[in-house]
Amino acid sequence: MIGDLLGVVVLVCLGYLLLTNLAYLGLVLVASIENGVRRHDTVSQAYDVLAASRFTIPVSVIVAAYNEESAISSTVDSLLALDYPEHEVIVVNDGSSDGTLERLRESFQLEPYEIFVRRVFETEDVRAVYRSPGHPNLVVVDKANGGKADALNAGLNVARYRYVCGVDADTVFDREALLKGMRLVVQDPARIIGVTSHLAIAGDPGQAMAVPPGRRSIDRRPLLAYQHLDYLRAFFNNRLAWSRLGFMLCSVGAFQIWRRDVLEEVGGYSRTFTCEDIELTFRVHERFLREGRDYEIHCLPDNVGTTEGPDTVRKLVSQRERWQRVIAETVWHYRGMWFNPRYRSVGLFGAPFYLVTEVLAPAFELLALISLPLSVALGVFGPVLFLLMCAAIASVNAALTACAILLDDLQSRTYRKRDLAWLLVLAPLDLVLYRPIIVWARLKGSWRFLRGDKAWHKFERNVRAPA
Amino acid sequence: MDELALRVAIAVIAVALPAWVVLALTVVLGRARYDRTRREQRSGVLGEREARRLVRRVSRPPRTDWGRWRRISALSRLTRAQHPSARRLLRRSLANPDTKIATAAIRALGEVGDAWAIDLLVSALRDGNAPRSRIAAELEHLAPAPGAELLPLLRDPDPAVRFWGATLLGPYPELGETSLIALTWDSDPNVRAAAVETLGRRSGHAVAAATLALLDDPLWFVRLHAARSAGNVVGAAAASSVAPLLSDRQWWVRAAAKDALRGMGADAVPALVSMLVHPDPFARNGAAEVLQDIGFVDALALESPGSPLLERIYAAGGDGLREAAELRTAAGKKRPRKARAA
Repeated sequence: MIGDLLGVVVLVCLGYLLLTNLAYLGLVLVASIENGVRRHDTVSQAYDVLAASRFTIPVSVIVAAYNEESAISSTVDSLLALDYPEHEVIVVNDGSSDGTLERLRESFQLEPYEIFVRRVFETEDVRAVYRSPGHPNLVVVDKANGGKADALNAGLNVARYRYVCGVDADTVFDREALLKGMRLVVQDPARIIGVTSHLAIAGDPGQAMAVPPGRRSIDRRPLLAYQHLDYLRAFFNNRLAWSRLGFMLCSVGAFQIWRRDVLEEVGGYSRTFTCEDIELTFRVHERFLREGRDYEIHCLPDNVGTTEGPDTVRKLVSQRERWQRVIAETVWHYRGMWFNPRYRSVGLFGAPFYLVTEVLAPAFELLALISLPLSVALGVFGPVLFLLMCAAIASVNAALTACAILLDDLQSRTYRKRDLAWLLVLAPLDLVLYRPIIVWARLKGSWRFLRGDKAWHKFERNVRAPA
Repeated sequence: MDELALRVAIAVIAVALPAWVVLALTVVLGRARYDRTRREQRSGVLGEREARRLVRRVSRPPRTDWGRWRRISALSRLTRAQHPSARRLLRRSLANPDTKIATAAIRALGEVGDAWAIDLLVSALRDGNAPRSRIAAELEHLAPAPGAELLPLLRDPDPAVRFWGATLLGPYPELGETSLIALTWDSDPNVRAAAVETLGRRSGHAVAAATLALLDDPLWFVRLHAARSAGNVVGAAAASSVAPLLSDRQWWVRAAAKDALRGMGADAVPALVSMLVHPDPFARNGAAEVLQDIGFVDALALESPGSPLLERIYAAGGDGLREAAELRTAAGKKRPRKARAA
């Protein structure tokens, strides 16, 4: 009896695995086309013209910083050095309890100034505003702690330009990041309301970005290399395809360009969710599709920067459980869109895809974790079959990961050959070395979602080499 | 069931494992090939066979999105290599109803950059088949400069063409002044805004009069550009005309007025001081903010602390402005003295 039951559970898990992997395979095919299109687009792009033109749309870059003492200077340096005709950098210190503000004051010789702005969004109290005599396009807003969404809204109140780019304070950007991100927008600003782009990951982004593309190395520590692979799969196998199919549902917090009037219209970043990025993307889709408006949100394959990845398992679990929680919160909140033809591809494919592959995944993973070893122990399956099943899953993972590596390399040619080879070697071992950590984090995140926990649980920053 | 599961697992491995191996080899070998091709491309030489292949690709109408981008990429490569067929293909691509192909031709024409390319770009600006902002960006980027070719655009019946004509004349202060002044009376507000923006880079009585007249335009974005231009064209004499825009009903005009007054420096102080008692609190705030930004508040705080004027500025700017000024002066830091207390 127990054996039969276990057999059924295992079959259900395998069915789920088959379904999701078939979906991933389909997405990879679509992503390959999108990557090819964007690659040709990049080749024929004249960034030097865009960079020098006064017709390139100005952008306000907003950095929300909370306890980012170790990272903030290199992030702001990279943003001030962006190759773009007109942009401003607004750093919002969200009531940090460490030396973030002091670090900014020292690095950029900040002086306090009063400015009078429209308060489009209600935020926690702004304590002071600083400007830098050496960098006229830098504004630092010091405010009481209210969370990342609140900080971004405070930045929006100060922003002067028609497009805004929300970025994370732990990310170091490529000099051409904004040009790459805005290249589609300048062609059709009436329709393209949101853009995100691919980011790499490293333990110390400043060091990683100090090397020019083509000779850049990957952080080869397995935990960071696997996160790099995770990002590659997320961007190249999934988001590129979503972008092509019209349901790009996650404009990532580390680099999200939005048309400012859209943000004002939908009420800015929401404070009621654990995290702001994915929810905002869902909200914009929901609003525009409900009203039958013509719009596009894109994900680009261009590498625009490197963000900091947790360098210990504990930090990684803390980060990923938060991601799982916010996905569950958002997908559940927008359940009205599931399978609803009114929301076109977002309702019919995007939201259900999230539901099946992200929200429900921990339940199936838990079932598989319990039932598979138990099946072997009780003799429902032989150990050989168990090992073959694991090998099959690992092979599929490896093939999908290799696709992502290939798409990235075709697009950017950023990394050295030996680093690419290292990633390819790591790919089949993902199931054993990395996936268990993510499964644990997702289970934890799902549990916290069910308990209604909305705390941020920010991971402690890595130790970086001195500048 | 065991048998079935075993077969499925083996079948999956039989497909996925070789796929991984093939993809891995493609990554590593493809990268090596890319490095080699790149070295060849850097040498600027396009092999005859490769060139023929690219010409065929550009000539054939694309059936898919992918094909369209391959065509665009081929066009770009032929232009960069200065292939003899490039000009013919560029002319044809520019007339292509597909906007993306036309846009690619624009980019490529920008790279060609001679008189022939300018002619084609100016006609494309008239046709409006491709994004005009892209054409404008290329035209501004060109050497030799296409200034004289732009003048006929100011008389075009299409307001969008007049707008771009007026905008693109910005870097040519010697050209089209009378026509630009006439365009400040254009029925299309976008054209008026573009004309006044371009006049902002010039000087003279007629230009000044036309600029100041648009400070009262019914459309907010025309007033915005007029405010920005007035400071450049008229200088400090425009301060008394620009300062009332600090109470404009549109936030963006108020912001532009602040920028213009900041740019005037100390000469704007009398006009700003007069706004400190304006009934609109935003206008008072704005005036106090500009006085702070041009260094007048710091200078006054150091030289005449407690003076009635300083107190009036603090009253207009609120506690935040006072505290910020006190912190700056206490730290002994002053901005370069663009303004001095009287």
